[in-house]
Amino acid sequence: MANHRSGSRMNRAGGIAAVLAAAMVLPAGLASSAETKSTWGFAVSSWHTAIYETRFMDECPEGINATNDEYWWRSLSKDQRGKLTNNGMTTQIGRQAIANHRGPNGEDICQVPTAVTDPPLLTVQSKTSYGLNLDGTSDGRETGKTCKHEKFTGVDGTPAVDNQLYRLLGCVYGWRSIGHVETAANGHRRTNGLGMILLEVTDVDDPRNDDDVKVTFYRSVDQFTFDKNDNPLPYSTYRIDYNNGTPRYGATLPGKIVNGNLTTESGDVSLPFYANYGFQTMRLRDVRIDVQISEDGSAADGILAAYYDTEQLWEYVGELGWQPTGVYNCPAIYAAMRKLADGYRDASGQCTAISSAFKIKAVAAFIRHGDPKTPTDVQAGR
Amino acid sequence: MLGIFLRGCLLAFGLTALAAVSSCTPRDAGPALSSRAGAGETATPIVSLRRLTFEQYQNIVSDVFGSPVAVVGQFDPLVRTAGLLAVGAANATTTPAGFEQFEAAARSVATQVVSPANRGTLVPCTPQAGAASDDNCTRAYFASVGRLLFRRALTAEEIDMRVAIVRAAADNNGDYYAGIESGLSSLLMTPAFLFITEAADGRPSKVGVQRLDAPSKATRLSFLLWNTTPDDALLTASERGELNTAQGLKRQVDRLLDSPRLKRGTAAFFADMLAFEKFAVLEKDSTLYPAYSLEVANDAREQLIRTINDHLISRNADYRDLFTTRKTFLSSALARVYRVPAPVPGGWGAFEYPGDDPRAGIQTAFAFTALHSHPGRSSPTLRGKAIRELLLCQRVPDPPGNVDFSLFTAPSPTLKTARQRLDAHSTNPVCAGCHKLVDPIGLALENFDGAGQFRRTENGAAIDPSGRLDGVDYKTAGELGAALRANRAATSCIVNRLYAYTVGRAASPREREAIAAFEKRFEGAGYRFADLLRAIATDEMSYVISVDQ
Repeated sequence: MANHRSGSRMNRAGGIAAVLAAAMVLPAGLASSAETKSTWGFAVSSWHTAIYETRFMDECPEGINATNDEYWWRSLSKDQRGKLTNNGMTTQIGRQAIANHRGPNGEDICQVPTAVTDPPLLTVQSKTSYGLNLDGTSDGRETGKTCKHEKFTGVDGTPAVDNQLYRLLGCVYGWRSIGHVETAANGHRRTNGLGMILLEVTDVDDPRNDDDVKVTFYRSVDQFTFDKNDNPLPYSTYRIDYNNGTPRYGATLPGKIVNGNLTTESGDVSLPFYANYGFQTMRLRDVRIDVQISEDGSAADGILAAYYDTEQLWEYVGELGWQPTGVYNCPAIYAAMRKLADGYRDASGQCTAISSAFKIKAVAAFIRHGDPKTPTDVQAGR
Repeated sequence: MLGIFLRGCLLAFGLTALAAVSSCTPRDAGPALSSRAGAGETATPIVSLRRLTFEQYQNIVSDVFGSPVAVVGQFDPLVRTAGLLAVGAANATTTPAGFEQFEAAARSVATQVVSPANRGTLVPCTPQAGAASDDNCTRAYFASVGRLLFRRALTAEEIDMRVAIVRAAADNNGDYYAGIESGLSSLLMTPAFLFITEAADGRPSKVGVQRLDAPSKATRLSFLLWNTTPDDALLTASERGELNTAQGLKRQVDRLLDSPRLKRGTAAFFADMLAFEKFAVLEKDSTLYPAYSLEVANDAREQLIRTINDHLISRNADYRDLFTTRKTFLSSALARVYRVPAPVPGGWGAFEYPGDDPRAGIQTAFAFTALHSHPGRSSPTLRGKAIRELLLCQRVPDPPGNVDFSLFTAPSPTLKTARQRLDAHSTNPVCAGCHKLVDPIGLALENFDGAGQFRRTENGAAIDPSGRLDGVDYKTAGELGAALRANRAATSCIVNRLYAYTVGRAASPREREAIAAFEKRFEGAGYRFADLLRAIATDEMSYVISVDQ
């Protein structure tokens, strides 16, 4: 498949590289010959929960959801508020930890979201969403592995789109476009690179149209490089995260390219996910991507859709409840998540995963396989 | 030139530092203005002074005191003369701010040497009871350190002066090491240290021609090959008169050529020849060239130095192949600019451009294409001029002051490429002459934009890099490299530059014959740079004082 050499393999960043010659590197956008297969590399530079927002917030006709703090505040008398908040001087962030412990026995309601019963979460009412059809139905009916749910129409008009994660979080402030949960998470990912995803597209015969390519997902151990304006720089070299001689991540999906649009078939993929000081390996099922690669091969932009394990989702949302960015109401989100989960129904009939879509942007990158060798002075030209 | 000396001392007086004052007392400075005398020697006439470059200053401090001692700051810029800063160093003008930099550097170095962390290893003397100094140890210490710094043995007067400074400062401060610090500052601010001082030995080799004295010879040799002060072995050889015999000189040249420090010396020469001082002011429009950064600029400089040292020193390859070689070294930042995988992510590694890569030869490196461009666009004219002047040693006249550049700089729907714009611009007969000299060469590099990145088109129009260099046609930047390789001016240029770099001045007409001989020996050695160095360093001609001086 790829260009192995001395235990180290290097792909072409966005452009094309001959598969059998690691050192064969052509300028981006230069077409490969029909006889050679090429490899592309991309570093995912932006990852956002795909939230479709309208100018007048029509998708949330009842407004944005109240937070743990507001529910707690409402439950207190004026005297209690004064005693618990230094006579009203404690800031919202300062009283967040107190507010979280509003369970009847002082439980942290983000860790034990069933400890209280709050009013239902205000969910998205829109008919339009980003995403892909994950269950294969046209109407969201119950199937052998999915639960009945409502479908969206894609932003581009695609019918029968599944994105219950949007329905769940689209009216929670932190996940909207200027919300702290998403902006802080994406910012942290960019600056520390802990959750940097690499995409490698192999077996490419034609960079614009190829009906048989493979897409492999890796994690980078190197950090992003940015220009002076804080934009990710293409054509950097990133090393793959290895564990005992094999990539720690490395799921591969078959795919195709049509007019520069790269799509994959469905498959299970684990991905590194870092957000708001927490790291997890996302267990995503039925993953598919749909991204447009720029003409010169330097960037890619599109959607990654999948079923996201609800336990993992709650691991993230529940832990985040302690953070300054965790300004939302855990019990309401948890109850709604259970209700809206639409994939991988267990024996009890409860779905254990939720259809999701993530907007991703990537820049061309060179992906280095194998453990890097320690350079000697001679190799380095000293 | 000698006026600098006086002016420097006067300015240093104005700076009030004890060390500065002491360094310019009449007793110290007086003889140095026109002659110098080693201990027990007859005064010899000084024939040239060259101000140390900042890098030379750093090298000397590092070699004398070790890596724990750093030099910070910057010196007044030198003026490129006859193609080299090394020649300009003989005509240096030093401003009051420049002397302040000397003072600051001297004090900083002296402070670091006597710091509690370093004094145990760098200062062999320990204070006697209280702050009292051990004059004998102090005397021996300054004789030893001063010999390396002044590149000759200190006179008894020079040592006595430092001992007195140490004693006075130690008494005033109640601290012996404060005395050492003042004494060291004094040495480092003395013109005998700051200026490479060359003197005649007073014995004409033939009528009208004089030779350098032994310390000057050792100094010239050391700065040529190592870009630093002579080490103890070289100074000893010079003191024993060994450099005055062909065998003794060859022995020292061979020793210096075998040293790892040779790469430092080679780097210094090529940094001078290739005008790397331009990196200090290199700017690129970050909107147009987002990949450019200070890191990229620093690495680009380093890339060329590593490439040159590897090619010429490690592999002892043909100098001419520098214009066609595909072997280089890349950092991660540079690999990004070149759009190739980094050989060692996060570090440096060897890299070879594939056969179909447009890059080959040092003239296609970022350190050439981007350095000789404008902040927001490439410049065939600047690049062509740089190749003519830096690589072929050919003079290109400056443009007249009233040139209208609007045809070239103004956006035009029809003149999309630099070639089209230059063609239109060059219809002016005043400009045409020079542009014919430089543009065809520079246009061959138009596939590299203002930040050295490869491109096939400019404003949507295909770039045509073809042209002709001194009768040789080419179609690509790679073929331009082959044309440069075949151009005899390229090999003649480096011989001339290296000779001028060695002697610190442009060669005089009387030296043409000797240079022609060096060129012949260079050719006979397969254009191996080390052989050229050896030829120049072992030839008596390189230590003769030009009658033009």
